[in-house]
Amino acid sequence: MLVRGMVVRLVEWRAEWFSDPARRLQYLQREMTRQPQPKPTPRQKKPLSNATKLAIGFVFTLAFIATALLRPETKRLLGRTLAAISLPALRTTKPRTNSTPILHRTAATEPARVWLVESTADSDLYSNGLRIQKQYLTGTQPRAYVTFPRDRIEPSAGQWRFQPAGVVFHTTESHMAPFEEDHTQTLRRDGEGMLEYVRRNRSYHFVIDRFGQVFRIVRESDYANHAGHSIWADEKTVYINLNQSFLGIAFEAQSRHEDEGLPVNPAQVHAGRILTEMLRAIYGIPEQNCVAHAQVSVNPANLRAGFHVDWAANLPFHDLGLSDNYRQPLPSVLIFGFGVDNVLAGAGGESLRQALQAAEDQLRDQAAAQNMPLNRYRETLQKKYREAHSALHAKGLLGENNS
Amino acid sequence: MNNSKTASAIGLDVGTSRIVAAQRLDKDIQFQTQLNAFVNLPFSKLTQGVLKKEHIPHLLQDSEITVYGDESERFANLFHKETRRPMLRGVLNSEEKDSLLLVRSIVTLLTGEANGQNQKLCFSVPAAPMGADQEVNAHESELTKMLTELGYQARSIPEGLAVVYGEMESSNYTGIGISCGGGLCNVCLAYLSVPVFSFSIPKAGDYIDYSVANLRGEPATRIRTIKEESFHFNGHFTNKIHQSLSTYYEEMIQALVVSLKDAFASTQSMPKLNRPIPMVLSGGTVMAPGFLDRFEKVLRATEMPVAISEIRLAASPQHSTARGALVAALSEM
Repeated sequence: MLVRGMVVRLVEWRAEWFSDPARRLQYLQREMTRQPQPKPTPRQKKPLSNATKLAIGFVFTLAFIATALLRPETKRLLGRTLAAISLPALRTTKPRTNSTPILHRTAATEPARVWLVESTADSDLYSNGLRIQKQYLTGTQPRAYVTFPRDRIEPSAGQWRFQPAGVVFHTTESHMAPFEEDHTQTLRRDGEGMLEYVRRNRSYHFVIDRFGQVFRIVRESDYANHAGHSIWADEKTVYINLNQSFLGIAFEAQSRHEDEGLPVNPAQVHAGRILTEMLRAIYGIPEQNCVAHAQVSVNPANLRAGFHVDWAANLPFHDLGLSDNYRQPLPSVLIFGFGVDNVLAGAGGESLRQALQAAEDQLRDQAAAQNMPLNRYRETLQKKYREAHSALHAKGLLGENNS
Repeated sequence: MNNSKTASAIGLDVGTSRIVAAQRLDKDIQFQTQLNAFVNLPFSKLTQGVLKKEHIPHLLQDSEITVYGDESERFANLFHKETRRPMLRGVLNSEEKDSLLLVRSIVTLLTGEANGQNQKLCFSVPAAPMGADQEVNAHESELTKMLTELGYQARSIPEGLAVVYGEMESSNYTGIGISCGGGLCNVCLAYLSVPVFSFSIPKAGDYIDYSVANLRGEPATRIRTIKEESFHFNGHFTNKIHQSLSTYYEEMIQALVVSLKDAFASTQSMPKLNRPIPMVLSGGTVMAPGFLDRFEKVLRATEMPVAISEIRLAASPQHSTARGALVAALSEM
C-alpha cells in the first residue's frame, strides 16, 4: 500500500509538469490504464517490515529529487521505470442503471439473468426469447415517487425513489372476438384499436395481445396511468399510488369469475412469463411485488379495497414464474385499515378470499394488542393513509389519472 | 465553425437543447453553439427564396421547409409555432423521423460545410438513465456512424466525464463533474482521469419547464423564457411561476443529491481518495442565480461518504462539456 500510494503521488506530481490539458490527460490516461497488478500471493500479502518501508521510502524520496533535477528525456525514462510498478487497479464500475440502490433483493426466487440481445427501431429482442414490439411506444414524464418505511408511515419519513419496484397485472377489458381462425381479421382489428387507445391514454407500460405479442407502450423510465389509487407494501416499504412506482402489464382479456377459467390463452401466458422474467431481472423486482390490479386498487372516497377487480381471480402466478401472491394479506387492509368492497370479495378466488380474511384477523389482533376497539384502531390507520396521501398530493405525485 | 484554418480536433456536446462545438485554433479554444431544434413551415417558393437569400439553414422535405438551429426559434415565433426537438432526454427522439438528419445538419452548420478530414472528434453521450440502456446504445452508434460518414474519427465520451476533462485540470482530472442540461443531469466521478462511476437522472431543465407548464397551464416555451430571463433563488417568491420553478428546481436538486449518495453506496470499487475532491456544476440549468448556493446547502445537509473540497460553477457552464470532449480528442493525437 505504501508503494502504491507513493507511485500514485508521483504520477500526480509528474502530471503537473504538463501545462497543456490534453497532454496532461494523455499522460494520466496512459499511466492509469496500465495493466492492473496481479493479485498478490500469500507471501506478498505479508505486511512489510518497518525496515523495508524505510528502505522503499528512501529510494522513492531519492527518485523524487532526482526526477525534479533530471532532464526531460531522462525523466521520461525514469517515469516509465517507476510506472512499471503498476498502479492500484481501478475498476470502472457503473452503478446499477439509475442511481438508486435496489432495495428489494429479498425475493424468494431470484430472477434468471436476462439481457438485451438486439435492438432495432421496431423491436427489442432479449436473451430469454422475449421480443417487444415498439411501434406504439410513447412516454409521459420520468418516474419519481416517494415511499414510506413500513414501520414509520409519516410524511417526514418519505424517501425518493426512481426505480420500478414492482409489477401490476391488468386486463384491458376490451372487446373480445372469439379466438378462432375465421375471426383473425377481427382479432387483429380489435387489437390494433385497443393498442391505439392504450397508447393515447398512456394506460400501461406493456400490453400482451391475444396472439401473445408484447408491445411496449410507455417506456419503463416513465410512469403510466395504470393503477391510480392503489396501495402495496413489501417487507420494508409501503407504496401508495402505484402509477409511479410499479410497471403495468395488461393482457388483452376480460376478467372472468374463478369458475369460468383462465381469460388468457397459452401464448399470452408464455409472453407474460418471459416479460415478467425480463423485468424482474433488469430491475431487481422481488416476486412479492408482482401483483394483480385487484389486490392493489382502493377507493379513497369510501376507504375500501377493491375499486377495480381485474385479475381478482385466476391470475396464473405459477405459470408466470411467481409464487401465489393472492395469499398475501392486502396491505391496504392491514396497514391502512381499509374495508373490503363486496365486489372484490365476490370476484376474488379462494386464495384471495383467504388472504382478505387473514388480513382482517391480523387487524383484529393488532387492535387487541393496542387495547383498542377494532373500529377505532382502523380509524387510526386510515388517518395515516390520509396524511401520507396528502403529503404525496402536495408534492404533485399522484399522477394525472387516479381512477 | 467557418474558419479558414482547419482545427486539429473537435469536441462536440450533443445536448438535448443545444449542440456546442469546441475547436482549438492556434492556442485559443473557440466555441460555436446552435439550438438543437427545428420548426416546419409550409412550402412556398417565396419562403424558400427568402430563406436562401438570407442564408437561413433549412431543409426541403416533401411539402415542408424545415428551419433548424438557432433560427428555428425566430421562425417559430414568427409563425406562432412551438419548436420541436430532434433529441429527447439526451438521445435521438424516436418520435421524430428525421432526428438524425437534423442533428447531422446542425453539426455540419457548426463544423463548417467541408467534411471532416479524418480529424479526431469526441462527442458527448449521456449515461443511460434507468431502463434506457438500449436507447443510449442505439443513440451512440447512430451518431458514431453519422460522424464517421462525415469524415471524422469519431468517439463518444460520457457527458459527466467530459465535464471533468473540461474543468478539472487543476486537480489532475479528479473530482465530480455534473452537467445539468435540458433532458438529463449527468454525473461522473473520476479519479486521475479514470471514470469511477457515471449516471444520469431524467430530471433537468425540460422536466422543470414541462412540470411548471402543466401546473400553471402555460406553454413550456414561455416557462423556459421566464426561467432563463428572470428566475433566481432568493427564498421569497411573489410570482406563482417563480414559486413553481423553485419547487421543481428543488426537486431536481434533491433527486441529484440522493442519486449521488446512492451511486457512492453502490459502487464496488472506490479508489482511496487521500484528499477532499472538488465538484463542478455545468450546463444551462445551473445558470439560474442562486443555484450554486441552493445546491451546496442541500449537498452539505446530506452525509456523503467522501469529503468535498469545493463546489463551484464552471467558468462557462454551457461550454464545459464541449471543452472536455475537445481535450479528450486532443489527448488522442
